[in-house]
Amino acid sequence: MRKHNDEHLLHEQIIWAVVDEKELSEGDQLHLMGCQLCQGRVSQFMAELQVFGERAKLSVPPLTKVLQMPAPERSTAKYRYSWIPFAGAAAMAGLVLFFYFLGMDATSPKLITVQGPEDLLEDEYLMQEISEMVEYPLPEEMYEITGEALDFDDDFLQFVVPDFQENSQS
Amino acid sequence: MTTEESKNMCLRIAGLAEKAMAGNRGSFQELIIMLQEDIYRLAYYRTFSQMDAEDITQEVFVQAYKKIKTLHDPQRFRAWLYTIAVNRCNDFLRKKKYLFLLQSRSAQEQEFGEAGTMNNDYTDTIAKKKFWEQVRLLLDKFSAMERQVFTLRFMDHRNINEIATILGKNESTIKTHLYRALNKAREESLFFQEYRESIS
Repeated sequence: MRKHNDEHLLHEQIIWAVVDEKELSEGDQLHLMGCQLCQGRVSQFMAELQVFGERAKLSVPPLTKVLQMPAPERSTAKYRYSWIPFAGAAAMAGLVLFFYFLGMDATSPKLITVQGPEDLLEDEYLMQEISEMVEYPLPEEMYEITGEALDFDDDFLQFVVPDFQENSQS
Repeated sequence: MTTEESKNMCLRIAGLAEKAMAGNRGSFQELIIMLQEDIYRLAYYRTFSQMDAEDITQEVFVQAYKKIKTLHDPQRFRAWLYTIAVNRCNDFLRKKKYLFLLQSRSAQEQEFGEAGTMNNDYTDTIAKKKFWEQVRLLLDKFSAMERQVFTLRFMDHRNINEIATILGKNESTIKTHLYRALNKAREESLFFQEYRESIS
């Protein structure tokens, strides 16, 4: 840091003056305003930077590609909101189908009422079938073989298989 | 360009940006014509390749067109466009770093090879080649942030306030990085030899 205002600016202060003069202290700014030498140094550095920038600009090869205008976007306000009614209708249809196939019957009040006469009759037939199956578990042909299906009277049976007591008396 | 001309241009850009934000394609087309050279140069200063810079320029305008409705202040259009361009270049350089091993020649060599075949003025081509070599040497001495700030200030000719907006930093940070970059440039670069001699 400089000790007196009559001393010239240091390198660092000249750079700060190039970056932004307001970054210098008040004393340095005053010195710079009155000192030709320091002003010359700042100006020279700035001029060299300017020349550098201009040279860079001139050394860039020309732009040869023709830039394409981007395709127009469809995102107008009308387009942006026109999908809402369609989406609503689709959602409703989806809900209807969902309940129809998966749970409409389960949630309907029909099931919590008493069963109808047709259902009761069906149940009765079913119970009868079950009882018959319990009583006669074999097919009809099997019963013919075993003889259970033939209708023999008691005399015939007595003739075929006489009682033991009758045989012993005679 | 005088201060008055610069001010008029800023107003014109803001006016066109406002119309473009309202969906006017013609205004956006005019903005492309006005700013394409600036964006192309910005990309070239970072990639040192004509082909890549041209592609990046196209991508920048496509992105700007798609996102223009997110711009709040049309007066900031230019800074906003520069932000897109700087980010695009950073993305490109990041990708390029990973692909570096696959390349047989650097982009710079390719670039000057192409320029040489197109331009018959061989001396001019050699001079430009030397110039860009010196620029690369200078920029290589800087940190990433110093390079950004220095390039935006002295090659893209943006002021401190604009640079702060483009890079999303405060002005004080920008000034500090600029000071460091200038200090390095003053000490070592051939570009500022005369200045160095004048103060020694």
